[in-house]
Amino acid sequence: MTTTRRPPTRNEQLQQTILYPVDWLEERSGLVGGIRYFLFRKVPGDINWFQTLGSATLTAFIVQALTGSILAMYYKPDPNSAYPSIQHITNDVFAGWLVRGMHRWGASVFIILMFLHMGRVFLFGAYKYPRELNWIIGVLLLAMGLGEGFTGYLLPWDQTAYWATVVGINLNGTAPFLGPFIAQFLQGGTYINADTLPRFYAIHMLLIPGAIFALIGLHLYLVIRLGVTSPPWSKEAAGTGTMIPSQNGGRRGLTRPSTRRRSP
Amino acid sequence: MAASERIVERRRVFQQYKEDVRERGKPFYPFAMLHDTIMSLVVVLVITGLAIVWKYTTPGDHQTVEPGWLGRLYDEPADPGTINFVPRPDWYFYFLFYLLRIFKWPPTVVIGTVGLPTVLLILLLALPFIDLRSERRLSRRPVAIVAAILVVISMGVLTYKGATAKEALGTELLALVPSWAQQQGFENNEQALAGARLFAVAGCLNCHTYLGAGGTNLGAPDLSAEGAKNKGIKFQVDHLACPACVNPGSPMPSFSGLGKERLQQLAAFLEASKGPK
Repeated sequence: MTTTRRPPTRNEQLQQTILYPVDWLEERSGLVGGIRYFLFRKVPGDINWFQTLGSATLTAFIVQALTGSILAMYYKPDPNSAYPSIQHITNDVFAGWLVRGMHRWGASVFIILMFLHMGRVFLFGAYKYPRELNWIIGVLLLAMGLGEGFTGYLLPWDQTAYWATVVGINLNGTAPFLGPFIAQFLQGGTYINADTLPRFYAIHMLLIPGAIFALIGLHLYLVIRLGVTSPPWSKEAAGTGTMIPSQNGGRRGLTRPSTRRRSP
Repeated sequence: MAASERIVERRRVFQQYKEDVRERGKPFYPFAMLHDTIMSLVVVLVITGLAIVWKYTTPGDHQTVEPGWLGRLYDEPADPGTINFVPRPDWYFYFLFYLLRIFKWPPTVVIGTVGLPTVLLILLLALPFIDLRSERRLSRRPVAIVAAILVVISMGVLTYKGATAKEALGTELLALVPSWAQQQGFENNEQALAGARLFAVAGCLNCHTYLGAGGTNLGAPDLSAEGAKNKGIKFQVDHLACPACVNPGSPMPSFSGLGKERLQQLAAFLEASKGPK
């Protein structure tokens, strides 16, 4: 069959112009296809609200990263000026109290959400084959999160912060073999000294967050690659072959199908 | 079921899962994503709400250290020379903080500080390799359910106990000094009396107990009869200046910030504490 080439209509020309940057990006990176795959990948129809805890944890982490970056613009990691800089942020900087408050309380919310998310995965048995590796990455993320809590607690350089950290470092020091080395590394010396605060600051805002970003990337990659599990009590759980085909483009599970009769 | 059969079976189930989802699942966008978005908004609102409550319930002009509903905006500036309160970590470390009251140091403190957390971490990491069955229904996983309930209860109890751990206030303890002097018989020892007053206000009793006063944070020992061990003034001064140098592994902080003279007074007080008559 032969087709005669006709010149593109005005509409088609417009469309091509608009899509040109998207096509350009896709041709060189495949990113557009990746995003499309991420958004339109299929998930089991019966997933429920408990399965939003993971993305809620991610949101809490993003809040920490953003508020932390803003705090870093005003905070001074030096024993003489740390405390005044915290006062300055809280009392003088525009909305400084809000950013600092969100960082302070966001930390607790982040930790609570990590535990809830972990509890959900445990109860759903979602750590089982083939998702073992993602469970391990999650446990590492929990440990990193607690490390952020420990190192961040010192930064206001007030009495609570200082003495809790002194005791915390001494506790690390009680570990057999490695303990004294860990304590010395954390303090930057045999005692807490002027180098300890910048050291905690660097660990708190560079070392651990970098590791957390990398691990979250892996975590999400595995979630997308392996898919999310159906709730174990579901009568139509994916993997049992009893799944009911989705109607209306998948309006089931989280968004229940309307029981009202549709108008013809 | 033999191990090889189990491997074949779980591969089959996962293939079935992929097929089920591909053919009969729903797209992530917009269905699941809507709920993720709603949940994320709730998280941001809760965090913002906490920050607002933290600030607006704090009395005064925020230059003060008065606590509001959610605690102080900040404490007094750090002062390496004094402790006059219990060193308290953030709430998610309370369980660890309380474990240290259960395990008395020095021989067993390492169980509380390092042993248990390490064992817990290893158990968590190894969980997928301990629980190899592919069963996910809760009614058929009694061990998992019991373990989960035990972990939640014990963490809850330890956190609560840590949060309500007894604190000792320096000013109240100062009033006990004459009674200590009388019971221990050092009323006429000026050095020991000065040391006793320091002992009351320098925070020693946040972790140690003395004649019934003080807390037992970190499982520190009772000092009522410390002098009966006759370790000598020099040992006591050295130990106060650097506990871990004299007693490796001790979690006690250094008190060298108090200065040589005060350490001498504290040492005199400890050596004069031969136990109540």
